[in-house]
Amino acid sequence: MSLEIQNLHVRTDEREILHGVDLVISKGETHALMGPNGSGKSTLANTLMGNPTYEITDGRILLDGEDLTEADPDDRARAGLFLAFQYPVSIPGVSVANFLRTALNAKRDEPIKVKAFGELLKKNMELLRVEREFTSRYLNDGFSGGEKKRAEILQMAMLQPGYAVLDETDSGLDIDALRVVADGVNALRGPDLGALIITHYTRILQYVQPDFVHIMLSGRIVQEGGPELADHLEEKGYDWVREEVAAGDAA
Amino acid sequence: MPPKFVEDRRAVALEVYEREPLPTWRRSGFWTTTLRHLRLEELEPRRYDAQSERPELVANDEIAALLVQRGASVVYSEVNDDRITLTSLEEAAELHPELVEQYWGKRVSPGEGKFPAATGAFWTGGAFLHVPRGEKIEKPIQIVWLIDEPGTAQYAQTLAIVDELAECEIREYFLAPDFAGQALHSGLFELFVGPAANVRLAHLQDWGTGEVYDISTRRVEIGRDAHCSWVPIHLGGHLTKQTLDIITAAPGADMRHTGLYITQGEEHLDLFTTDLHEAGKTTGDTVWKGALTGDSRASYEGLIHIVKDAQDTDTYLQTHSMLLSPRAKGDAIPSLIVETDNVKASHGGTVGEIDEEQVFYMMTRGIARRDAVRILVEGYFEEVIQRLHDPVLEEIVRERIAQKIAEAEEDVREYVEHR
Repeated sequence: MSLEIQNLHVRTDEREILHGVDLVISKGETHALMGPNGSGKSTLANTLMGNPTYEITDGRILLDGEDLTEADPDDRARAGLFLAFQYPVSIPGVSVANFLRTALNAKRDEPIKVKAFGELLKKNMELLRVEREFTSRYLNDGFSGGEKKRAEILQMAMLQPGYAVLDETDSGLDIDALRVVADGVNALRGPDLGALIITHYTRILQYVQPDFVHIMLSGRIVQEGGPELADHLEEKGYDWVREEVAAGDAA
Repeated sequence: MPPKFVEDRRAVALEVYEREPLPTWRRSGFWTTTLRHLRLEELEPRRYDAQSERPELVANDEIAALLVQRGASVVYSEVNDDRITLTSLEEAAELHPELVEQYWGKRVSPGEGKFPAATGAFWTGGAFLHVPRGEKIEKPIQIVWLIDEPGTAQYAQTLAIVDELAECEIREYFLAPDFAGQALHSGLFELFVGPAANVRLAHLQDWGTGEVYDISTRRVEIGRDAHCSWVPIHLGGHLTKQTLDIITAAPGADMRHTGLYITQGEEHLDLFTTDLHEAGKTTGDTVWKGALTGDSRASYEGLIHIVKDAQDTDTYLQTHSMLLSPRAKGDAIPSLIVETDNVKASHGGTVGEIDEEQVFYMMTRGIARRDAVRILVEGYFEEVIQRLHDPVLEEIVRERIAQKIAEAEEDVREYVEHR
């Protein structure tokens, strides 16, 4: 059981951003994808989810063996893929609770019973230390950066995806908000979730220990390893990766 | 026998009616509302017998009073709160001539054009509401205008007077079943909100898919330190040409004007609203939102007019129009006339489409495109719907909007794909 990205080439605005990315995330694993700004991390996240802005010119995306390369975003979501956005859009006029119920029901044959939904919501709100008023506010409308990220993780907790991509979920968070989000992610980790944490900094990885670390540079994954790779990067910075790649290319 | 002043006014109105040609409204260079397909001579005021049973037309479990005019006749009325008067205007002119004469026609006049004159000349039945000084009426007061047969011409007069310090909720419904053929609702509406009174006014228009023309003028006058929240909801009508004005007439008057429209098929909607500040130290807040489907046309122009000497006015107008079909055309025009200084007046207008980023976001949560579009449009209107402050009525409006978006699904898909 895995999310497989095979030789993915992606283009937007006539320019190729990803030049053949391979990545396998198995259920139960947590991967970190690191890289400097503009390396293609968010392009990968958006492409995985089927954002029409990005065109796949080569390669495949397989989810538990099912080819999702051409699938619409809603089909991908129903197949068990989730993306926590770096910049979630606001949906004025639609409350968090209403949105969550709609999203849950989209995956189900029978609509969820009001009581069951209430209990599930309560459980996850406690997990993410979300105030009661939060769910009656319009989704992301006027939310602070921290609230938006918390709303993303709340959606993830409610939808229980098989595979989750967290795109820069740590960016713009103060230490308390980062802790809450990290605790939430940790609570959702387990044998039924494969997670890909996309981040620029190693900060969140101090709270969410990854099993594997991948480093992306200019649309390619250039280094892979265990959690120690993140520590190494923290110490030496991305210039070290660039030098390594340059040295490798020269040799 | 009707009082003399009633007959005199009819005569004046008839003179204007006979003199005036059928109007064509042109605005902003390209927008035209024409009545060339209206066969006015084939329409007639139809009379109906009064009925003893309350017609089940609207949500009316908990009401203070209800009056129903079908075609040209008031067919039903009930008043469950003896502090208020709700009768036909014909009856009120006989029973309360001083009150009627004092207010009726103070803010609308047959001289304004062919249709105000037609209503002034041919009206029958009519609605008269009076809420006396200091009375707080908790349950809503409802007036229903019903056209249920093609060929009907309905000349509608409403006069509502809410005295000093009184509070109430007024709802006027404009309803027709889906039928084949033409009909006309030509309406004049006046509401006077007395000093320090507080009124919630809702207009709900749902003329169905028949060829119903609605040509109406509605005006609300707000007195000193009084407040009125006016929520017009336009859910359907073959051709609608309306002038909706709200007048803050004395210092301290405060208005909220929050409207919505959704058009479909071949519907044509032409709204002109004025937020008229006749006195200083008055406040206003206008928000209009629309959505267009099918081949429909909808134009909204909202004017803020602050007259000379109305200093320290603080007002604001915003209008948005959302296109949900490649063939629909709409505009949203805010405008401003300020004849004094030291005021705050801001306005804005947008014509937009569904935001694809929002659609993508929702789809990543497993929500199908058509549901995402429906939810976004519902969310867009929610700000207006919640101003109704009535869960039952709000639900009716939400359901009708959802139904209309579902009916327009093909258009929406076509539109999104061809962008």
